[in-house]
Amino acid sequence: MYKKIDLSMEFLGIRLENPFILSAAPPTDEFDIAYNGLKAGWGGVILKTTSVEGNPVPLKYPMMSSFGSMSRKVIGLGNIDLISGYQIDEIEKRVKTLKEVFPEKMIGASIMGAKKEDWQTLVWRLKKAGVDLIECSFSCPQGSMGEKAGRMLAQSVEATEKVARWVKEAAEDTPVLIKITPQVTDIVEVAKAVKRGGADGITASNTIPSLLGVDIDTFEPYPSLFGKGTYSGLSGPAIKPITLRTIAEIAKNVDITISGNGGAFNWRDAIEFMAVGASNVQFCTLPMHYGFRTIEDLKRGFAHYLSDMGFDSPLDVVGKALPNIKSQDELPSPETRAELVEEKCVGCGLCYLACYDGGHMAIDWDSEKRLPHFDDEKCVGCAMCMQVCPVDAIKMNEKIVGNNSVHYFVEKR
Amino acid sequence: MEEIEKTFSKEQAAIEAERCLYCYDAPCETACPAHVPIAEFIQSIRTDNLKGAREIIQEAHPFIETCGRICPEESFCQSACTRVKMDTPIKIRELHRYITDNTDPSENLELVPATKEKIAIVGGGPAGLACARELRRFGYQPVVFEKKQLGGVPANEISVTRLPEEIEKKEARFIHQNFVSEIKDTTIKSVGELNKEYSAIFISTGLSDELGLDIPGNNLDGVYYSRELLKRAKSGVRLPHFKRIGIIGGGNVAVEVASVLKIEDPLRDVEVIYRRGTKELKAFKKEIEEAIEVGVTFQFLAIPKEIKGDKKVDGLVVTRAHLGEKDTSGRRHPVPIPNSDFVIPLDAVVIAIGQKADVYFPKVERDAKGLVKVDGGLMTNVKGVFAGGDIVRGASTVVECVADGKKAAQNIAKYLEGEKNV
Repeated sequence: MYKKIDLSMEFLGIRLENPFILSAAPPTDEFDIAYNGLKAGWGGVILKTTSVEGNPVPLKYPMMSSFGSMSRKVIGLGNIDLISGYQIDEIEKRVKTLKEVFPEKMIGASIMGAKKEDWQTLVWRLKKAGVDLIECSFSCPQGSMGEKAGRMLAQSVEATEKVARWVKEAAEDTPVLIKITPQVTDIVEVAKAVKRGGADGITASNTIPSLLGVDIDTFEPYPSLFGKGTYSGLSGPAIKPITLRTIAEIAKNVDITISGNGGAFNWRDAIEFMAVGASNVQFCTLPMHYGFRTIEDLKRGFAHYLSDMGFDSPLDVVGKALPNIKSQDELPSPETRAELVEEKCVGCGLCYLACYDGGHMAIDWDSEKRLPHFDDEKCVGCAMCMQVCPVDAIKMNEKIVGNNSVHYFVEKR
Repeated sequence: MEEIEKTFSKEQAAIEAERCLYCYDAPCETACPAHVPIAEFIQSIRTDNLKGAREIIQEAHPFIETCGRICPEESFCQSACTRVKMDTPIKIRELHRYITDNTDPSENLELVPATKEKIAIVGGGPAGLACARELRRFGYQPVVFEKKQLGGVPANEISVTRLPEEIEKKEARFIHQNFVSEIKDTTIKSVGELNKEYSAIFISTGLSDELGLDIPGNNLDGVYYSRELLKRAKSGVRLPHFKRIGIIGGGNVAVEVASVLKIEDPLRDVEVIYRRGTKELKAFKKEIEEAIEVGVTFQFLAIPKEIKGDKKVDGLVVTRAHLGEKDTSGRRHPVPIPNSDFVIPLDAVVIAIGQKADVYFPKVERDAKGLVKVDGGLMTNVKGVFAGGDIVRGASTVVECVADGKKAAQNIAKYLEGEKNV
């Protein structure tokens, strides 16, 4: 009944009907599931990481764990998954079939190998099957097949460059993405190595090594397998800020295409990923939690955003925030103070506590009226009170020197 | 007069939306007669995608601003909410209203050309207009026959304290402008008048007459009928000089007219006089609560016997009742207690005991109550003549009428396509 806003775009020479991709993860590990995702309207898939035949994949269950409050259980999702149990002989068939059924969608595949021969064989076979894009997992936190056991390939600058070169050599004109980890000393060095190796782009990034929790009665880590546990790869809303920083640092320093991945949970997150330099956004935890139906709100929200902003293409968003990201010493020094919106205040006193015990003792508490009073002399404008206010009743004002007007900023956190 | 209910703030909406579990095959959507995609729109509130949310609601339902205010959610969506098993149901209607109050109607329409047959729709209320909109979306040319203000009961009768003047009219106008080929202000009394020019007919005339109360004194000065009063109130006419008004009835109309009269003059006494008890009231909970809030009182278990007065009303004689067995309506029946008559002093009586259908369309089969009989696809005994809304259901709700309109449109399309294939 309504005119559809076009979300299509080019990504490394591939046409995407929308920038929302299902990442190499459980939602792309079964043929039928990947099929359903594409049918539901996702722009493309990257089939879960495969390997050459004869390489055992000893999966352990239970695999998943999470942390969050009772009202929002999955803020962070952990997995002790490995690469796909399906090997290249199966994956090449799937690529071929999916490409036949969905010629308009991006069908990508993720690979991982140990030797040069493995990497290149995987590439050749996928190319023959008609794959649109190859992603190389250099960063699975668990069971990596890198140079040293237990170490991710992308944690070595030299290995990253070398393997990227092997893969691109075999892939020729098929686009190659290298999936890296934020768990490195200098992300920019890794990104530069990918570029030197000749790969077309970077997937930034992956799940993040973590320990989901420990049972304090039995001292079993989560997830517990007969009392034993290990480090999980963490995904979900909890890692979004880490991913944003990873994408931004790469985009500001290396001229290379980026696919954003890790922590995007809605269309706003996706736009943020793109604003700091990603050209598209991969999703996994969102569809795992709420299903492929979530593509509808992603598309609708993004489409209205584009038309409200007057943008013609999703690519118009890419990098829009980058000029505003500076190092701390380059930032301006606004004179700012907290200000209360009295009609919104519910009188909980949390701002008072935050300032009194953790800020600058700049808030007085009127216990009769149950209202905070802000002391402009003591307030330095740190905005801690604003973070704890449950009803967003505190905003930060900015005095513009030399001109008596006041304007407000950071109304959103 | 101001609207009583206030819309959610952004914070309230965010907190309430966060409570929604976003169930698979959400039971609230199944329980909504118009199948509004509730889980979807709540997800869109979470992501602050209000424009997108508006579009999906508007696609499912043409009177969303109206229903955001007056839909009895406890009878539909909310009654099925999974969250009930944990604590309390999601305030679905309030979230729905939050969206419509914070967005403009999406005019970003894309419709197929109206090249198919002309369809006659008799009655421009929620059922008729919903049917027209759906038919136009399929490419038909709906022609609506309506003599009064478009929009039916919500536009003409529902109190402005619950539904501000403009809301429903605006929605009816939007349908008129975008989906209706023509409005004709002729009264249609038989199928024969339309047969030649129209390929199918949808009867949605609603319940236009009121049930009378057959007791002595019902013709005295000061005896009114409820819907007549509601119409007068909606057009701004007041009943200024009465100080003690009794409303006879226990349905939504009775409670609504009582609230209107009390709000009009808070210094007068307004009492709903009902034969049965509290539990048997047919009015929706929210309306009863609002009536009590404004100061309406209730006299339960009182059977009206006679309106007393010399030319003008000066009281109502009632017989005290107790509750007996359940009757055919499933509610306990009032049994008069002998020698228990008493007089309620009143200077006006409003009769609000129900509504009935007109008697037009003689070939169309009706039931004992005068309601039109239809099959599962809403077709009457006359081929190509469909019916829906209150004329089929008896007094119902906007959302049920909308559901009928949509369903009839689908079946009209199926019927006409089938005709071609024969």
